[in-house]
Amino acid sequence: MAERRTLSRRTLIGAGVLGAAGIGAATFAGVSAFRNPPRNGTDVALQLSWLHSAQFAGSYIALDRGYWSDAGLNVSLLQGGPNAPVEPPVVSGQALVGVSAADFTAAAVAEGAPFKIIGVAMQNNPFVIASLPDNPVNEPGDLEGKRIGMALANTPTLETLCTLNGVDITAIEIVPTQYAAQPLTSGEVDCLLCWETDLPVAMEIQGVESITMLMADYGYTLHSQTYIATDDSLANRRDDVVALMAGEVRGWEEYRLDTDAAAALSVEMYPDAGLDLETQQLQAARQVPLMFSELTDELGFGFWNEETVAQNIETLALLGQSVTPDLWDSSILEQVHGA
Amino acid sequence: MIVAVTASIRPLAAPARRDAAVGVAGVVVALVAWEVLARSLEGAFVLAAPTAVVVAIVDNGPLLGRALAATGSTALAGFVIGNLAAVALAGLAAAWPRSQRTVTGLALIVVCLPLVATAPLLRVLLGPGDGPQIALAALAVYYTTLIPLLVGLRAVPDTWLDLVRVAGRGAVTALVVVRARASVPYLAAGLQIAAPAAFLGAMVGEFTGAERGLGVLTIRASRDLDVDLTWALATIAAAVSMLAYAIVGMIGRAATGGQPPTILAAPRIAAGPGRVRRTLASTASAVVATIVLWWGGIILLGITPFVARTPLDVVGIFAGTRDGGLTRDALFAALCDTAVYVVPGYIAGLAAGVLLAVLIVLAPGASGAIMPVAVALRSVPIVTSAPLIVLLLGRGSLGAITLIAVMVFFPTLVACLHGLRQAPGQVLDVMAVYATAPWRVVVRARIPAMLPAFFAAARMSVPAAVLAVTVVEWLATGTGIGALMARSASLSNYDALAGAVVLVTAVAALGYAAVGAIETRMLARYAPEQAS
Repeated sequence: MAERRTLSRRTLIGAGVLGAAGIGAATFAGVSAFRNPPRNGTDVALQLSWLHSAQFAGSYIALDRGYWSDAGLNVSLLQGGPNAPVEPPVVSGQALVGVSAADFTAAAVAEGAPFKIIGVAMQNNPFVIASLPDNPVNEPGDLEGKRIGMALANTPTLETLCTLNGVDITAIEIVPTQYAAQPLTSGEVDCLLCWETDLPVAMEIQGVESITMLMADYGYTLHSQTYIATDDSLANRRDDVVALMAGEVRGWEEYRLDTDAAAALSVEMYPDAGLDLETQQLQAARQVPLMFSELTDELGFGFWNEETVAQNIETLALLGQSVTPDLWDSSILEQVHGA
Repeated sequence: MIVAVTASIRPLAAPARRDAAVGVAGVVVALVAWEVLARSLEGAFVLAAPTAVVVAIVDNGPLLGRALAATGSTALAGFVIGNLAAVALAGLAAAWPRSQRTVTGLALIVVCLPLVATAPLLRVLLGPGDGPQIALAALAVYYTTLIPLLVGLRAVPDTWLDLVRVAGRGAVTALVVVRARASVPYLAAGLQIAAPAAFLGAMVGEFTGAERGLGVLTIRASRDLDVDLTWALATIAAAVSMLAYAIVGMIGRAATGGQPPTILAAPRIAAGPGRVRRTLASTASAVVATIVLWWGGIILLGITPFVARTPLDVVGIFAGTRDGGLTRDALFAALCDTAVYVVPGYIAGLAAGVLLAVLIVLAPGASGAIMPVAVALRSVPIVTSAPLIVLLLGRGSLGAITLIAVMVFFPTLVACLHGLRQAPGQVLDVMAVYATAPWRVVVRARIPAMLPAFFAAARMSVPAAVLAVTVVEWLATGTGIGALMARSASLSNYDALAGAVVLVTAVAALGYAAVGAIETRMLARYAPEQAS
């Protein structure tokens, strides 16, 4: 009897301690989720495509300088991640606007998502082939006989590059790898399919010199970091969408003037993201030529013209996706730049 | 009865001081080997030396502290919620025995859901914030608590229940007064396994767009080629997992008086002519319950049709009426690629678990050296260990198989170790009197005693192996059904995603049932008391 009572009491204490700790944690989690004090204005969310970094520094500038709050918007920037697709929160209305890419947007539209591309942050596609100087890939022809590390999901991208440049893809050995520079540095592969602004930057910061061949220079014309919104939002929440995009445009124009400051702001605004200032500065500088061009100088940030849309449609066709020019809706940007 | 066999366990333990010395020596050897390996791989950016890890932890102290607090709090919340759910389900099953098979069947189906696909869906459902991390941590723990708890609730002498009945009370009183107390040791065992699992679940949940946490930093560090920080994060995650395992174990021992129960014991196996019919009926009820929850959830939660697929849609996918079987064929092709890894990895993991357990029993001192390394191996997040294992063993099948084996072997080791120690004391005494060779004792007495625990672990490892292979394919090899799910999510191909979820879940549940069928036959021979 005595033993049973002891057992019961100890159990209860143990359970109580665990339970209390757990409830505390749950409360803490709940509180931290709603810690931002409510402000006046319309709550809207912008769904980013990746973790916080200088990749989205134009948005941070817009937030930090109050471009949105002045326009009556209370914008939250939702971080992405390796297992966080952008399209569902935009379809479901959790996010008013999302940062996608032309190929992902086209795929979603083919699946019935009512999306329009309302702005293009990256005029030039950021995909590169990164290699080391003693075994370089300077042009697509150099790929033959090489081992390339990439996600198998990107095979259509490589196929398209090969088709555009008359390269025999069967002469390339595709090694499925995780998205990291390490297979290249450890000699498992000769080159990587990656972005101009991430893995090559990481290698440079770690003291590994690399060579990048921008695929956009070899016919791979595909808008990236595209802003998407649903037809419903464009019809019924038009003012919010215009205000959001106006803030984006102003933010990115500021960004271009001082990328170092933009990188510093990224590091400062997201102390928990583990951002390294030097890395962010290099990344911020490297994405400028991808985002700004003669076209944007003429028409304004985020714009496109009939010619670039036609090129995008051609590239998408090679990727196996069929879209029409209607996918791009310039009316929001016209309103932004006209205002 | 299960409890009756737990008697003589202690004689195995070697003097504690020698154990501790071997343990310290084992850790030192492991650290030195780690340092040497890391230095020999310098320039490959794969492995950081322990000294570099310490420097990275000190340099990034506040950042890592905040991340640890974020991940730790969500893991704890998930741990509590998941275990409360397990306790509630077990209570329901005990108070209303007819529901038990439906409850366990449904619980099995939920634990077999591939998180590569469910994690982004959880983000859609729960929105920004900590929801998905907490949910994944809870999903990672509830099953390993529920199953031992159900065993514990039954591990009650019938006479006690008779007493309740004589007093004119019913099932609820029996549950509260008798069964709940009898189940405490089993609950403790389940909670101990759950503690590290909650932490890893929370980390993977952060991959769906969490603002902060160790998982977020792990992604960042691996992209930035910051090997020192990557391994500092892995070290912290492993240390916290080990600590959680130890602390929950300590609380459990304090609560139960130090007698470890038979964890993961076999379910009571239905016997007699009605068995097949009852099995079919219970399977059907679990499947029906799943479909009701699935379909009802879509309607009640108002999930956008862009993402949501109903059971009818999935039938269409597999019948080929939606797209002429295109998705179905792609799914089966990917599943075949996956099988090449998962089957050998699963078997290798089970074998490694058994062999290490036998080794520890034959040379008890080795426990101090093996166990810390085993817990550490299991605790290092797969996203960090994958590049190293792939580099050491190659990117071919060997690396992937090893990664799966690493995920499977630990629960098997723990269960088998416990099972080997379940050998009846009298049998061991008789063998000792006749000076039987140690290996013969293992073969004749301990391994038969181990079989129930081994099979339970083998059963529970099926979902674990499927989870491991999909994560490995997603993060490391980029092939098979795991990569297909990740690709489908990014290309908005929710037909393929829904089909993959159903297929993977069904395969895992069938694998579980197949191991259960082998178990029934084996136990009928070697442990008939389990098959009563």
